[in-house]
Amino acid sequence: MDVNAFVEGFGVVLQPSNLLFCLIGVLIGMFIGVLPGLGPAATIAILLPVTYTIEDPVTVVIMLAGIYYGAQYGGTITSVLLRLPGEASSVVTVFDGFALAKKGKAGTALGIAAIGSFTGATVSIILMSLIAPLIAGWALGFGPPEYAALALLGVLLVATVGNGNALKALITAAVGLLLATLGRDSFTGTERFTFDSLQLADGLNFVVIAMGLFGVAEILHNLEQRAGKAQPPAVVGNVWPNKAELKQSSGAIGRGSVIGFVLGVLPGGGAVLASLVAYAAEKRRAKDPSRFGRGAIEGVAAPETANNAAATSSFIPLLTLGIPANASIAMLYAALLIAGVRVGPSLVEDNPDIFWGVINSMYIGNLFLLLLSIPLVGIFVRLLRVRPAILAPLTALITVLGVYTLNNSVFDIFVMMFFGVVGYLMKKTGFEPGPLVLAFVLGALVEDNFRRSMLIFGGDPLGFFTRPISATLLVVFVIVAVLPLVKLVLDRRTAALAHDNSKREDVTL
Amino acid sequence: MSDPKRAEAQQTAETPAPDLLDEIQAEVAKDLEDEKDPGGTAYQVVGALVGLALGVGGIVLSLGYGLGTLREPGAGMWPLIVSVLITVLSAALLVVGRTLDDSERFRRASLLPAVGAATFVALAFLMPVIGFEIPALLLCVVWLRFLGGETWRSTIVVSVVTVAAFYALFLYGLRVPLPHLFAF
Amino acid sequence: MTKLAAPLRTAALLAAGGLALSACSGVQNTAGGSGGGDTYPTGSVEMLVGADPGGSSDLISRAVSDGLGNELDGSFPVINRPGANGALAAGELENAEPDGSTIAIQNASLFAITPLAVPEDEATSIDDFDVVGGVSRDDYVLVTNADSEYQSLEDLEGAGSLRYGTTGVGTGSQLAQALLFGDLGVDATDVPFDGGSPTLTAVLGGQVDVAALQIGEAIENVESGNLTPLMVFGPERVEFLPDVPTATEEGLEVEVAQYRFMTVPTGTPSEVTDRLTEGMEATFATDEYQAFNEQNSLTPMEISGDEVVAQLEEDRERYAGLIEEYGINLGDAS
Repeated sequence: MDVNAFVEGFGVVLQPSNLLFCLIGVLIGMFIGVLPGLGPAATIAILLPVTYTIEDPVTVVIMLAGIYYGAQYGGTITSVLLRLPGEASSVVTVFDGFALAKKGKAGTALGIAAIGSFTGATVSIILMSLIAPLIAGWALGFGPPEYAALALLGVLLVATVGNGNALKALITAAVGLLLATLGRDSFTGTERFTFDSLQLADGLNFVVIAMGLFGVAEILHNLEQRAGKAQPPAVVGNVWPNKAELKQSSGAIGRGSVIGFVLGVLPGGGAVLASLVAYAAEKRRAKDPSRFGRGAIEGVAAPETANNAAATSSFIPLLTLGIPANASIAMLYAALLIAGVRVGPSLVEDNPDIFWGVINSMYIGNLFLLLLSIPLVGIFVRLLRVRPAILAPLTALITVLGVYTLNNSVFDIFVMMFFGVVGYLMKKTGFEPGPLVLAFVLGALVEDNFRRSMLIFGGDPLGFFTRPISATLLVVFVIVAVLPLVKLVLDRRTAALAHDNSKREDVTL
Repeated sequence: MSDPKRAEAQQTAETPAPDLLDEIQAEVAKDLEDEKDPGGTAYQVVGALVGLALGVGGIVLSLGYGLGTLREPGAGMWPLIVSVLITVLSAALLVVGRTLDDSERFRRASLLPAVGAATFVALAFLMPVIGFEIPALLLCVVWLRFLGGETWRSTIVVSVVTVAAFYALFLYGLRVPLPHLFAF
Repeated sequence: MTKLAAPLRTAALLAAGGLALSACSGVQNTAGGSGGGDTYPTGSVEMLVGADPGGSSDLISRAVSDGLGNELDGSFPVINRPGANGALAAGELENAEPDGSTIAIQNASLFAITPLAVPEDEATSIDDFDVVGGVSRDDYVLVTNADSEYQSLEDLEGAGSLRYGTTGVGTGSQLAQALLFGDLGVDATDVPFDGGSPTLTAVLGGQVDVAALQIGEAIENVESGNLTPLMVFGPERVEFLPDVPTATEEGLEVEVAQYRFMTVPTGTPSEVTDRLTEGMEATFATDEYQAFNEQNSLTPMEISGDEVVAQLEEDRERYAGLIEEYGINLGDAS
C-alpha cells in the first residue's frame, strides 16, 4: 500500500467543503433510508443534475457515497421502530430489533446498531486499504456455480432463522422460493405465474413484499390488538446500550465485521447474505438460541455490523475492476463518469487521490453517522412515545406513498396490500414472514445460477465439485444440514448417559 | 416480580450473566402483553391446506412451462422442484401440526383490520384519479377518529398537518413524482 | 474562500430543493414546473424511462432532460417506470395525452429485437408512436478474457464448442452473438446473465469464453488490458475503439446496433414536435452533452424521426430473416 497516497487521501477528505458534503450526504441518506421505497439509487439519480455544478469529482463521490451508507443506517431505524425493513439487508435486523423495541429497548437496539455499523465499516475500510486488489480476485473467482452453492447455503440458514415451528418455517421459505420465480424467465422468456399481466412480467419487488408482510401486517394486527384496550404509548426505556450489553455484543460485532467484509465483495446479493450468515452464526454459537427473535442484542449487532461492512467492501469491485456491485454503486459510477473520471483497474495509479479520497471519506462518513446517531437515536426513539392511534395512520401513509415512489406504480400498492393481508392471516395461523422474505431474495440467485452452472458444465451436476470454492460451500451445506441431526442424536445419547450415571450415583450413595 | 432484589440475588447466585434478569422480566412482560388465544385445530388445518393448494397449483402450472433437460434446464424445472417441496411439507404439517398452539383466534375486533385494509385499497384506487391529498386526508380521518378513537379536534389537526407534511416532503423535499391535485 | 463558495451554493441548492411555484390544474405527478406564455412547454413535461435509475437508458434521458430544460426554458422531470424491457413505459406513453406533456426516449431493441423473443400480443410496435428524432447509438463489442486461448475471430472459428455470455434474453447482446456463431457455424452455448455487470464479471472470471457488452461497460477493462476486443457489431468503427474492426469488415452479416430516439404519442401536434426537435438540436450542440456522450462511449445518432423509423423497419426485417436462416430461438415465442 502506498502510505503517502493514503495520507494524502485523508488530506483531501478533511478539506472543509468535503467534510460539509460528506455530512450532507450522510444526512440525506439517513433520511431517505427512513422512508421505505425511495432507495439510495433513486436518490442519487435525482441529485445527479446537482452534481454537475460541483467541480471536484472527489466531492461528488464523497457526498454520494455518504447517501449510500447513510441510507443503510436509516433503514435500520425503521426496521427497529416500525418493523419496516427498507432494504433486503436489514430484514434480519427486524427479528430482534423490533422485539427489543417492544420491550422498550429501542434505544439499545439503535445504539448497538450504530456502534456495530461504525465498527464494521471501519474494519472493512482497514482491510480494504490493505488487501483490496487481492480480494478483488476472489470476487472474480465467484462464478455461477459458487453463487448457486452459496445461495443454497443461505436458503438453508433462512429456515433456521425463525423461532416458531420448523416445518412451518420450511414451508414459508419454500413459498418464498416459488414467489421468486414469478415473472418472465430470464433464460427462455417464458412468463411464469404472471397470468398474462405485464405488470408482473418483471416479477415481484422485494421491498413491496417486505413492506406488506412485515409493515402492513403489523399495522393491521395492531388495530385488532388495540381494540377495547387502554392505549398507553410504548415503554421507552434506556436510550444507549450499557456496558454489559456492549460486552455481550462485542463478539458478534467482531465476527459480523469479517463476515460482512468477505461476502460484501461479491456483487449481487453480498450484503443480504452477509447479514443472514452473521445472524445465523450468532444464533448457532449462542448457549440459548431461543433468545433470538425475542430481543437478543447480538441479533441486532451481528447483521447490522455485517451489512455495513459489506456496504463498504462492495466498493472493491468498482474501484479495482470497474464492476458496480449494486444499483446504488452503479449510480455512483455514473456520477463519476459524468464528472469525467473513468473508474476501473487503472484508477489506483491514474487517480490515487480519488481512490483514497473515496475510501477515506467512508471512514469520515461513518464517524459522522456514529456522532449523529447519538442525538438522533434519542429523537427517533421518542417517536414511540406518540400514541399508537396517531402513529398508525402515519406509518400507513409512509408505507403506501413510499411503495408508490419505488416504481411510480399504483399496482405496487395493491401488491403490498395483498401481502399485508397475507401477512396478517399468516400471523393468525402461526406462520412467520421472515423465512419467506429472505428465501424470496435468495430464490432468483439459486435458480439462475444453478441453471447457468448447468449450461456451463454441459449438464453435469458433478461439475460443482470440480471447482474448489463451490465444492467447499457444498460440503459446508451438507455439514450444516446434517449437523443438527447428529447433535440431536448425540444429545439424546449423552442425556441418557447422564441419566444412567446419576442413577448409578444414587445407588452408590 | 414483587421482590426484584431477591430475584436478583437468586439470579446472580445461579448464573453469572448480569442481563438475564432483564431478559426474564421482559419475557414475562411480553407474555402478559400478548395473551394469546390459540385458534385450535381448524386454524392449523386451514394453514396446511392452503400450503397444499399452493404446492399442487405450482406443480400443475410449472409442468406447463417446460422442464427442459439437465443440460439445459427449462423454465418449469425449478418451480416444479419447489412446488413439490411445498406439497410434501404441507402434507406433513397436516399430519403432525394439528396440535400446535401458535395460531390466534379471530374475534369481533378482527373487523378493524379489514376496515383498515379497505382504506388502503381505496387510497390506491383514488390516487391516480383525484391525486393523493384528499384520499390521504380521508384515510387519516378514518384511522384517527374511527379506528383510533381520537377526538375530532386532534383528528383534524393531525390529518391536515400530516398530509401537508407529506406534500412538502415528497413533492418539494424529494422532488419525487406523486399524483396530486393542488399545485402551488 | 472561493474554494468553499461554490460548494456552499450547491449545498443551498440542495437544501432548498427547488421552490419554483406555478399554478396548474388537474392531477399531475411532479411539483413546480415553469415556463409561461403560449409556446411549448407550458407546464412540466414528464419524460418516462423504461429502466431503473443508473443504466445507460436512464442516464441518457437525464442528460437530454437537462438539456431540454435549459434550451426550452421548462422542466422535464425524468420518471422511471421500469419493467418488461421498457414495454411498461411504452404502454404508458402510448396512452398518454398527445399534447407533448409526456415524452420518452425509447430503445431500438424494444421494437426491433424484443418482438422476435416474445408472443405477438406483447410486442410493442413503433406505429403507436411519433418519432421526433434519433439520439445516440450504444454499440456492442465482442470481448474475450486476455488470458484465454481465444484472442482473434479465427480462434473462435476453430473452437470446438464455446460458452458465450449475454446480457439477457431479447437483448442485442444475445441476438448479435447468436447470429455470429450461427454464421461461423460454431457450436456455442448461450449463458444469459442479468445485465452488463454480471456478464462482465463472468468473462473476467473466465466462466464464459466470450461475451458481447456495450462499449461503455467494457472499455475500462479493454484499456487496462484485461479484455481483448475482437470486433464491434455496429455499422461503422467506433471512435472509442478505433482499431477494432466491425463485423461487416470481417465479412460477417451480423450487424446489430442499439440506439435510442425521442418518441411522443401519435397525434401530437407538429408545433410540439418542432419545438422538441429544436430543443434537442440545441442540446446536442452543447459541450456538456458532447462530453457526456464521450464519457459514456456513446456515438451520436442525431437523425430525423423518419430515418429512425426506416432504420427500425429495416433492422427488424433483417434480424427476422437471419434468425430464420440460422434457426435461432431467442425465447419461447412459439
